[in-house]
Amino acid sequence: MNENPANHFEEELRRRLRPVEAPEGFTDRLMAALPAQRKPVVVPFTPKVVRRSRLRDYGMPAALAATLLVSVLLGIRVADKQALIAAQAEQEKELAASRELMQALRVTSQKLNLAFEAVNSPPTAGDEENRS
Amino acid sequence: MSLSAAQPLPDSLLAQARAGDRNAFATLVRAHQGSVFSIGLRMLSRRDAAEDLAQDVFLQLYRKLDSIESLEHMGFWLRRVAANLAIDWLRRLPYSATRPLDEGAEVATQEAEQDPLMSRELLRLLGELPPHPRAVMLLRYQEDRDVAEIAAMLDMPVNTVKSHIKRSLTALRGQMIGAKLVVEDSP
Repeated sequence: MNENPANHFEEELRRRLRPVEAPEGFTDRLMAALPAQRKPVVVPFTPKVVRRSRLRDYGMPAALAATLLVSVLLGIRVADKQALIAAQAEQEKELAASRELMQALRVTSQKLNLAFEAVNSPPTAGDEENRS
Repeated sequence: MSLSAAQPLPDSLLAQARAGDRNAFATLVRAHQGSVFSIGLRMLSRRDAAEDLAQDVFLQLYRKLDSIESLEHMGFWLRRVAANLAIDWLRRLPYSATRPLDEGAEVATQEAEQDPLMSRELLRLLGELPPHPRAVMLLRYQEDRDVAEIAAMLDMPVNTVKSHIKRSLTALRGQMIGAKLVVEDSP
């Protein structure tokens, strides 16, 4: 025989928690509340409801959004590239101008040297004859 | 009046009820109304609310008869819906709308006449448990369902069911001992 007090308590619970009777007339009241006829079930030939996929529901807006995003990104990229090309062209122009300036300075310097030499060199016989 | 559990229902009854036989459906109701009403009564602690809940549960059954596979499935379904509906109602009702089991105790005394004080106290303490543990205890000790079935009915893990049972038993027993309605463990 099981003399464990815990088991005894569980048995006591089972005994005292036995289902009680529903109130008198419960079934009659319930039956009166039921709809007159159950809905006929038409199952075999009804096509299964195909759930619209999320792709279908959100596909078009998602595609539009993606296109817009790609366009914006492409635009930014093209603008960046154009700015880079313009900067490079500007840089090349500056280099060419700088080269030209250096060339001009070189030529000027050579001419000045020639003039200086001409001024400072001793006069030759020919020069004296010309003078007189 | 409920049919006793000793009277097994014929399997054909479900098919008859599905086909629209109202007498067959009434027989099914009578077989389970005691359990469903008792879950409502002991969860909600009010006879009127328990009757409303039982009506609601059987009306849902009537609408869903086509999805019920067997009588055993129906028994499971009814208890699951009753317990969950009661938990749901308890969440919505203000606390003052329910009161610990004076009305329920009146019924319980008819069942366990030899110690009405203990029955009354037990039901009162049960009514003080939170809704989920209360539903677990009722499905375990009123409906004699095992923990796996209770877990499936209340959509909770088996270990949670075990823990609710253990804690609730300890709490109930402790309070019953405190009230000197149960004797303490003898060595």
